[in-house]
Amino acid sequence: MIQVVTGDPRPIFKQIVDGIRLRIASGEMPPGTRLPSVRALAMQITVNVNTVAKAYLELTADGLIESRKGVGLFVCEPRQRRSDSERQRLLDEAVAHFVSDVIPLGFEPGEIVDRLKRDLEPLTNRIAKEPGK
Amino acid sequence: MNDARSDFAIETQRLSRFYGDRYALRDLTLAVPRGGVHALVGRNGAGKTTLLRVLLGFVGPSGGTSRVLGEDSATLSAEVRGRIAYGTEEHALPGWMTVASLRALHARTYPRWDEGAYGEVARRFHLPDARRVSHLSNGQRAGLALALALAQSPDILLLDDPTLGLDPVARQTFVETLLFVGKRDETTVIYSSHDLDEVERVADDVIILVDGGLAAFAPPDQIHARISAWILDDLPEGCAIPGLLQARNIEGQTQIVVLDQGADFGSRLEALGARGLTPWPLGFDRAINAFLSGYGTRRDS
Repeated sequence: MIQVVTGDPRPIFKQIVDGIRLRIASGEMPPGTRLPSVRALAMQITVNVNTVAKAYLELTADGLIESRKGVGLFVCEPRQRRSDSERQRLLDEAVAHFVSDVIPLGFEPGEIVDRLKRDLEPLTNRIAKEPGK
Repeated sequence: MNDARSDFAIETQRLSRFYGDRYALRDLTLAVPRGGVHALVGRNGAGKTTLLRVLLGFVGPSGGTSRVLGEDSATLSAEVRGRIAYGTEEHALPGWMTVASLRALHARTYPRWDEGAYGEVARRFHLPDARRVSHLSNGQRAGLALALALAQSPDILLLDDPTLGLDPVARQTFVETLLFVGKRDETTVIYSSHDLDEVERVADDVIILVDGGLAAFAPPDQIHARISAWILDDLPEGCAIPGLLQARNIEGQTQIVVLDQGADFGSRLEALGARGLTPWPLGFDRAINAFLSGYGTRRDS
């Protein structure tokens, strides 16, 4: 269930985008999940239909959801979602953000890398078990 | 532009309205395209009600022009007048009539009467057919006014502070009705409101009036994006902050809200000697509040 709150610094369409993005990333909305229609979601959360349409447009442009003519909107398969250059750019951004956050904490680079490896370990195992991407 | 099929629902050119030597509207130029929900926002006395009254032809302009559906609003034809619906905050309906008789009267009066739309709004507000209007609750009276207005299938729906004085439940029902009932693509809704949370949810566009003039006309997220806020520790004496809307001291720190400053605002302000600058993002409500309090300086005549 998507929630929007007024008073949030993010505009409503952005809250919808972030909410759906999070649900896709967490697996709560796996690939193939059908999204509510623009009007249905607008009614659920009491916002202007154009606001929901704008959010869906952004999610479509990001490759997270796709429209199947006459059927509706669905969550895409992960590999279709982003181009390689887009993935590289987002990784660079995320790393830059991370680095600027941890520098003031005063750890040695080696300590930071070790700590990071600990979180990436389960991911490495999972990818090894599922050949492909 | 005498074409009755004007692309604009409403067009004003340098519209002014004076009451004695006090102005309510001053040089207001505004063109509202057809369709969509437009929220009219401004402080008390900013000219919202006067604008609606001029558009309806209740009062004439002191200067400039005002056109509605392509016609001069001071001399609206009966045909165009029939395509405009209006609701006021007082919900002025004849108290002695019953809900059913008022509905029947309106159904006979308006050629494009939409019984389905009336019924849907009446259900949402639980309007009791046999009750006299004077015995309805505030929320029901507002619901009845909205049901009658929407069922006219108007090209333009003008509402003056329609949710004022409604309890939260009636308010929610009102907003849902405004958003989802009737032929939403064909009606241009212009409604004034002080409830900025509601405006953010409902409006396609926000029209902001300040001192009788147009201060902004854009979708809520676009206006919101023009406004940024910061907290800072120290500001040199006499430092002029560009685009400043609002500044206040909070426990020894200063919070500032600025308009139309780019991403480099922080570094520019630091170059002016500001210290401890931290972005402090605001929600729509507080951002627009700062805009209303700080936009322009009072232009005394």
